Amino acid sequence: MPVYNFKKMSPVPSAPDLIDIVLMRTQRRTPTVIHPGYKINRIRSFYMRKIKFTQQTISERLSKMLTDFPRLNDIHPFYADLCNTLYDRDHYKLALGQLNTARSLVDQIARDMIRMVKYADSAYRCKCLKRAALGRMCTVLKRQKASLAYLEEVRKHLSRLPSLDPNTRTILMCGLPNVGKSSFMNKITRGNVDVQPYAFTTKSLFVGHCDYKYLRWQVIDTPGILDHSLEQRNTIEMQAIIALAHLTCSVLYFCDPSEQCGYTVEQQCSLFRSIKPLFANKQLIIIVNKVDQLPWDEVQPEKREMIEDLGRDANCSIMTMSNISEHGVSAVKAAACDKLLEKRVDARVAGKKVDGVMNRLQVFHPTPRDGVHRQAHIPDSVKQAVADGRIGSADHKPKRSRKGYAETVDDIDKNDEDATMDVSGQLKTARDLMWENGGPGVWAPDYREQYDLKDKDWRFDAIPEIMDGKNIADFVDPDIEKKLAELEDEEEQLLEELAAQRMGEEPDSDLDSEEEAAVAAIRDRKKIIKNISQANRSENKPVLPRSIRGRTKDKHDRGDRNKDVVKDKMERLGVDASIMIKRGRSLDKTRGRKRGISVSRDVEMDNSNDSPGTEISKTQTKKQRRSRSEAAKREASISRGHSRPRDPSQIGLHSDAAVEAAKKLEKQGRRMWEGGAGEGDNRKAVHLVRWMNTGKKRNGTHYCR
Amino acid sequence: MATRCSFENSHEVGVFAALTNSYCLAGIGGNENFYSVLEAELREHIPVLHATIGGNRFVGRTTVGNVRGLLVPNTATDQELTHLRNSLPDKVVVQRVEERFSALGNVISTNDHVALIHPDTDRETEEIISDVLGVEVFRQTVGGQALVGSYAKFTNQGGMVHPRTTVQDMEELSSLLQVPLVAGTVNRGSDVLGGGMVVNDWSAFCGMDTTGTEISVIESIFRLQRQQNGGAEPMDIVTDMRSSLIDQLS
Repeated sequence: MPVYNFKKMSPVPSAPDLIDIVLMRTQRRTPTVIHPGYKINRIRSFYMRKIKFTQQTISERLSKMLTDFPRLNDIHPFYADLCNTLYDRDHYKLALGQLNTARSLVDQIARDMIRMVKYADSAYRCKCLKRAALGRMCTVLKRQKASLAYLEEVRKHLSRLPSLDPNTRTILMCGLPNVGKSSFMNKITRGNVDVQPYAFTTKSLFVGHCDYKYLRWQVIDTPGILDHSLEQRNTIEMQAIIALAHLTCSVLYFCDPSEQCGYTVEQQCSLFRSIKPLFANKQLIIIVNKVDQLPWDEVQPEKREMIEDLGRDANCSIMTMSNISEHGVSAVKAAACDKLLEKRVDARVAGKKVDGVMNRLQVFHPTPRDGVHRQAHIPDSVKQAVADGRIGSADHKPKRSRKGYAETVDDIDKNDEDATMDVSGQLKTARDLMWENGGPGVWAPDYREQYDLKDKDWRFDAIPEIMDGKNIADFVDPDIEKKLAELEDEEEQLLEELAAQRMGEEPDSDLDSEEEAAVAAIRDRKKIIKNISQANRSENKPVLPRSIRGRTKDKHDRGDRNKDVVKDKMERLGVDASIMIKRGRSLDKTRGRKRGISVSRDVEMDNSNDSPGTEISKTQTKKQRRSRSEAAKREASISRGHSRPRDPSQIGLHSDAAVEAAKKLEKQGRRMWEGGAGEGDNRKAVHLVRWMNTGKKRNGTHYCR
Repeated sequence: MATRCSFENSHEVGVFAALTNSYCLAGIGGNENFYSVLEAELREHIPVLHATIGGNRFVGRTTVGNVRGLLVPNTATDQELTHLRNSLPDKVVVQRVEERFSALGNVISTNDHVALIHPDTDRETEEIISDVLGVEVFRQTVGGQALVGSYAKFTNQGGMVHPRTTVQDMEELSSLLQVPLVAGTVNRGSDVLGGGMVVNDWSAFCGMDTTGTEISVIESIFRLQRQQNGGAEPMDIVTDMRSSLIDQLS
């Protein structure tokens, strides 16, 4: 079922506005920079794009309007006829038709001009063609000025029509002007329709809503209808006629036998007869209004007879009512609603639409499956409250706030007479407390207050959740006392058994008391040493390498390996330290290792001192000397080798000259890359194309076309 | 009496509250508005507690209970269990269930005598339900939905099921549960009955979206208006409200 909502149509711009919108959009959404030096294909496509874009924008806007406006053939006949009356069907269709034509004209223009741009041979020609195309499209739009203005007016009016659903439950009031239709509307709905003592106060349809039998009812107030032929009716009356003709509803025909409305009963009856064909298939009730002015019994018999005749003719009931004394208002509403509802339900049932919801209309009562009686669990306090009428009775309704909150005293509307709230006997709710103590986010209830414990004083006791790294809850056990007692018993028993076993045995140890004391002293000492060493080790300090550990640091800390310290310590223990000190000196690196060359010299000198005594030949001597000098050289080279550090890059180079040469070569190799754009160089220099940036410019600016 | 309320702009009050004949749980929210609605109606008769389960406030979906007991899922922490245990009366048994479905409220629907459970629930859970809650347990689906806790809601006096439940299913369910049943909606046509309302033998709370018709159906099927002066009876749905329902539904 379509829902009619004409409020969402977007506004229709006037013709100059539309042109501005389109051109502005084209300028903004297409590229603007072109140079005459570009390839001609590029220039052509630049201008073709502009034309195409303009055409697309225009047809998009026009299509939006065409789809927004309701098509009179497709919408509900009620709205179609209403539009016909209010806006003139022909005019409306013509306006929309013209927009449609304009759209196809614009398409045609765009197509033609694009074809021509394809053959343009210069930027200038292209530009001229584009100007021509845009100009022609705008001219087409300009011609739609009247249609657009008319459609904007229609849109404004449509969007202000009441949102009336032609298919829902509807009560419709009709009758001559001033018979009390609008007053009745104000009585049963919150529509707040203007009521004035002159004809045609109501100039259009008004919609209100009321509730009856859990349902929402739509109430339509129509303008008054005069008794003349259909052709003579004006727009205001026609709206009422259209509503009567097209809506499936319950109709209340209002009569005023007091004739205060200014029309005689005869006129009222003749109007009824003239619009009677419109009442076919509707639930009609004739309402005799204003009975506070002229009670129905006191109406002249002939007039009464005329009205009753109407009821007999149309086969409908007559009800009396007064808007002022409110006599019969709710009865009329109930009767109208009931009649229509009955009709609608009959139609639904006949149409077999009900089968789908049968499970919701039917209560399924259980067939007993066993003898068990399953009763409700209602606390006695509730039963008492029900008996007192405090809850649950049909006439007692608790005050329900519209916000869905439990009410506080502040929520009560001071002007509302019924809204008295007895707060004296009531406990404060959490909401009351919350507002008293600073509102949400500031105050939160203490949840422990409600604890239902054996002793009320226990409620706020602090109970740790975790103790000694263990979750208390894991150890909660209702039988803990019992289990503890059992464990204690068991332990006691075990101890007793052990004691019984030990009975008669003597301690087994073969040491005498002195030895035991010594052992204990040794163990104590060991323990202390161990602890000291552990404490030292765990200290956070740099670890000295073994080779320099124990060296003299300064005069206060002479270190463990100092000769005097060792001597003192050893003497205390009764040991001769001289050998130890000697060995220590020989190992001490700080005293300097003898350089190999000096040692070998000494050896050589010794040898030379020793040699003269022995007889050897000259050649042998020479040989010896050579071998000695070679050995000396080798030693020197070895020691040099150890003493002089070498750069890794010089390894494998036999001489300084070679090193120099290598360095020179390396430098030369580096120089090759300096300054040039290497592979890691990502910088993009400005690339100026010479032919674009030199020479004289031709006529026109070369920046923008 | 059925009351409309909302939990912090959510109309799914059954998600944030659990109501039985002996206690009521309400999720801890940013303010006390929702709690106070429950409190104002129920405080005289049963304890109304703030609660969380596993740190979450959707207590209505994670727990299930009746007058005898309360089942909480294994996501409930020890502190929360302690809180529940301390707050609830001693005759209500609180039991943690090691069940694969942790949203117990969605998979179990129960009154004080009968329970419907999701067909895939563990056998151990089934035993726990029947022991702790003291109910007969049936594995059933409602309207083709396995989440019976979400799509069916019944008390000792009446019940409401998913609107698409067939007539045969409803007859069968009614004789299983031994209460009158009707198919219906809450919150303006929502079929998630368990989420949209909480109800016990004398009161009901449903979302703010619930229409007047829905409220009337709820009040009459759950017998929330006492009978001394023409309170609603389940049969009202068939007699008084029939035409309104037909006109609205079809």
